[in-house]
Amino acid sequence: MKGVLLAGGTGSRLRPITHTGPKQLLPVANKPVLEYAIEDLRDAGITEIGVVLGNKGREAIQDHLGDGSHLGVDITYIVQGNPLGLAHAAACAREFVGDDDFVMYLGDNILKQGIEELVESFEAGDFGAGIALQEVENPREFGIADTNADGEVTALVEKPDDPPSNLALIGIYAFSNAVFDVIEELEPSWRGELEITDAIQELLESGHAIDSHVVEGWWKDTGRPEDILHANRLVLKDIESEHAGTIEAGAEVVGRVELAPEATIESGAVVRGPVSIAEGSTIGSETYVGPYTSIGPDCVVDGAHIENTVLVGESTVTSDGKIVDSLVGRNTTIGSAADELPDGRRLIVGENSNLKL
Amino acid sequence: MRVITHTCPACGTVVAANELEANRVMKCPGLECEAVLRFDDLDPEAREHFVEHREQYQI
Repeated sequence: MKGVLLAGGTGSRLRPITHTGPKQLLPVANKPVLEYAIEDLRDAGITEIGVVLGNKGREAIQDHLGDGSHLGVDITYIVQGNPLGLAHAAACAREFVGDDDFVMYLGDNILKQGIEELVESFEAGDFGAGIALQEVENPREFGIADTNADGEVTALVEKPDDPPSNLALIGIYAFSNAVFDVIEELEPSWRGELEITDAIQELLESGHAIDSHVVEGWWKDTGRPEDILHANRLVLKDIESEHAGTIEAGAEVVGRVELAPEATIESGAVVRGPVSIAEGSTIGSETYVGPYTSIGPDCVVDGAHIENTVLVGESTVTSDGKIVDSLVGRNTTIGSAADELPDGRRLIVGENSNLKL
Repeated sequence: MRVITHTCPACGTVVAANELEANRVMKCPGLECEAVLRFDDLDPEAREHFVEHREQYQI
């Protein structure tokens, strides 16, 4: 079985952060979102992975993942270009997949439990496809599956007014090779895309059994800033303490804190976990770093109060104002205007930024 | 809808025909690959199909 990992999209809901990089490389607990998907595939025994690239962030993703060997996988890149739909992305991978089955995984999703059960369930039967589902409270906002007592899908419906169930498709699929011929017969939808739900529906109507697997534990689509923060909280909840860096005498470190090599918590600083601090970062004295904060590599946080926040990296925070619930892009400086005249805040803010002062 | 791709003979990167057609002649998008890819690298029948259905491959 092979893996097809979708890493396209414009990341428009994550602007301005995504003006300078692809959304799939945004860090959650100091690890790019895309790496969670690769680990899930690898843990399910899938080491040949096709990474589908769109028009944005191609070089950055290739530069980060390389040939995949440092992650224990073998990566082939597939350039889709125009975002012509998930089924188009799958079909672009046809030559890569060859005669195998494959798992298709949206690269901005994070799952707590991984995909081993989905793959095992799919491989245990003779299915045209297997789809990961999760119970949601608002089924009218999702693609929804109806299933029978054996867990086989009997119908799919997109954002239904009258949902047949509360089981939503979460963007992780296993496919038999039969899906490629089905996609070849599809026409683009009203929005000009080849829809993967149409492909699954066609598989269903042409007599293929469709397996389903209800994902327990959390699942997160990291498409918006608040989703990155939420995913960061969910992942940090499960971290273990690891103090590879330096904690100076006089620093107060409470709870589970990941402190990478060459990171330092200086005397007088207070860090309350769960917190992740990446390589080369320094938490200065009189700084408070509160729960659910991830501080990326090569940051300086000094004299600040920061909690429930993600600093992507290479940033300096010296403002004494409280920073909470924030996503801060790379190479950012947040300082103090206390000694400046005239009194007031001084901002250099990129397009599509969102500030609450 | 027929999805047409071309594989770079030098690095194995797969490129969709819409990308090749948009550029006609392009450096392979594979990082550090120096190969030049052309829409004309596709076989004539695939090229003809793409051109006849070009609107399907645009968003």
